[in-house]
Amino acid sequence: MPIWLETAIRSFSILIGLFIITKILGKKQLSKLSFFEYIVGITVGDIAGTMSVDLGINLQEGITSILIWSLFPVFISRLSLRNKKFRDFIEGNSTVFIKNGKILEENLKREKYTIDELLEQLRKKDIFRVADVEFATLEPNGELNVLLKREKQPLTVGDVFPNPPSEKEPQTVIMDGLILDEPLATMGLNRGWLKQELDKQGVAIENVFLAQVDSYGQLTVDLYDDKIQVSEPQEKKLLLAAIKKVQADFELFALQTESEEAKQLYTNNAEKLTTLLRQVEPLLRN
Amino acid sequence: MTVGSQVKQSLASLKSIHAGLQGLALISQDEQAQRTFHEAMMLTEEIIADIKKRLSKLEWEEPQYHGK
Repeated sequence: MPIWLETAIRSFSILIGLFIITKILGKKQLSKLSFFEYIVGITVGDIAGTMSVDLGINLQEGITSILIWSLFPVFISRLSLRNKKFRDFIEGNSTVFIKNGKILEENLKREKYTIDELLEQLRKKDIFRVADVEFATLEPNGELNVLLKREKQPLTVGDVFPNPPSEKEPQTVIMDGLILDEPLATMGLNRGWLKQELDKQGVAIENVFLAQVDSYGQLTVDLYDDKIQVSEPQEKKLLLAAIKKVQADFELFALQTESEEAKQLYTNNAEKLTTLLRQVEPLLRN
Repeated sequence: MTVGSQVKQSLASLKSIHAGLQGLALISQDEQAQRTFHEAMMLTEEIIADIKKRLSKLEWEEPQYHGK
């Protein structure tokens, strides 16, 4: 067998083997490499590289070494999933740097962190005043996480509206002009409904590049033809306007009528509509 | 427009609101929203019943506009 062919076969099979190993290691590795896993990754790559080029290395020896290097971390991560103490030992604990707004100098020293580095990390998170920090901790992967004091925290929707209506994830129902039946079924809808909604917006299905349905059944589309303006869904707004109009009408009738009984009836129903409005307005507003 | 036809118009609007709320109650994914829409829908049903009663009385008072 010519040398180039052997190298090619080796490289190809090692490539496939590495691919399988990375699949076994899983997604977590990518996002959150510990120092140990980082080194293991480099070593495995190095072994694989050498093995594919250096024909002097026996394949059996190389494969054994690769298997040990790559399966040992898998074994350790399985074990640390079950045992908290083992996990703490392997992955390390986080160190608190700022507590109750006060810097803990002892902990800084223990992690060999200078105050300059701490300030730098804080600045990276747009914090320039240490006085704004309530709590800060150094995670095992070297990242600093910060909890701001309550008055310095950014405003959230919950701060403004006490009980905001919840919003589930939208589903994509048309992609590249093709109807996706599964997301439609998840929403409890079907092709007939989709056709009807598209007709309402005056859009041909062949022209739709992307269509999404939000959790209140509103359909938004993106067309191939970008010159066409698609109107935003108006149904909820129209419904809200209709309720407000009927409520106003009832108040008007109550004023106009001379019969005491009718007046009572209209006022009652106007009030009912007011409570109804209060309930559904947050849901219908957007 | 007579009072009768005005009330009829409101009744029609109410019925459309009822249908709109019903549709939303069915299509909403969030349970809390479903419940709110459903309750609102029941409330409109009550109001519709009330207004219908009133309307029959009005038709009796203004017989010339009956059925319009």
